[in-house]
Amino acid sequence: MTSFRFDIGGRARKAGRFIGRVRSELLKAAAEEKDANGVTAGELAKKLKTRNSAINKQLEGESNLSLRALADLAWALNREISFELRPLNGAAGQNIPAETSTVRGQMKVIGGPAEDSSTLPSPPQTHVVTSKTVKFD
Amino acid sequence: MPSIATLVESGAILKIEVELGPREQPMRLLYGTPQFIQWLEGLLEGAEPEVRLGEATAAEQVDDLFYTYLSGKPLSHVRQFRVVRAEKNAVWELKTPDVRIFGWFMARDCFVGVFGDWTDRVKDHDLYRGYRIAIRRLRRELGVEGTLCVAGIEPSDVLSF
Repeated sequence: MTSFRFDIGGRARKAGRFIGRVRSELLKAAAEEKDANGVTAGELAKKLKTRNSAINKQLEGESNLSLRALADLAWALNREISFELRPLNGAAGQNIPAETSTVRGQMKVIGGPAEDSSTLPSPPQTHVVTSKTVKFD
Repeated sequence: MPSIATLVESGAILKIEVELGPREQPMRLLYGTPQFIQWLEGLLEGAEPEVRLGEATAAEQVDDLFYTYLSGKPLSHVRQFRVVRAEKNAVWELKTPDVRIFGWFMARDCFVGVFGDWTDRVKDHDLYRGYRIAIRRLRRELGVEGTLCVAGIEPSDVLSF
C-alpha cells in the first residue's frame, strides 16, 4: 500500500466541509476587516455586546454557531450573507458552467431538460461578502 | 540520498488522499507516516476527544482540513497552521478546533503528518516539545533533515496561496 484514502462518507463530508467553509469565510472576513479598518475581535465583541472570548471561540470554530450568531457576526463585520441551495448534478469530467450574466435564467435548452445539459450550475455555496453600500443600522 | 519516491517505496510514508469535487484536482501533496495513518484510521472508526469543541466531528474536521489543503485553498496562518517553534527546519502544526497534526514540509506544498492528537490533550500536557523532538529525530533517521525539509519559517515558505 502506497496511499491511504481518508474517506468519511458523503454525508459527513458534506457537513464537515460546509461547516469548514462557513468558518473560513468568517476568518477571511475578520482578517479583511482587521487589515482594512483595524477592527479587532474586542471591537466586534463590543459591537455585539458580548465577551471577547465568545467572539474568539466563534472565529476559532470552538463553539457552535447558530444562524443568529452567524448573522450577528456578518452584521458586525459589515458583510452581507449570500446563501442558496442548488441541485447537485455535476459529474466528473464535466465542463465548468458558464458564469456570464447573460446565461443564467435566459438559457434556452434544446433537446432535453436542463439536467441533461453540459452547462450545469455549480454546487451550493455560502459566502460572506463585503457590503459597502448596504447600511444595517 | 532519499527522495519522496524512495520514502514511499520503502513504506516510510504513504500518500494521503481525500475526495475532491468534480472540477477539482490536488494542488498540494500530503503524506503520512504509518503511525499517523493508524491514528487516522482511529478517526474513521469514530474516535473523539472527551469534550468536543467543534460543531463537526473530529473526522469531519480533519477531512475539511485535508480538503482545504489538498485543493489548494488558502489556510489561515496561526488559526489553521503554524510553526511549532521558530527555528531552521521547523516542525509545523496543522490545526482544527479539536485536532492537532504535527509534521514537517518536505517541500513547499508537500506536508508529512507524523503525529495526530486532541487539542486539549496537547495543551493540557504541553506535548509540543515532545512531538517536535520526536519529529526531528525521525527526520534524522530517514536522512532527510538537510534535503527533504523546508528550512524557512514564513507561511509562504511552506504554502503557496
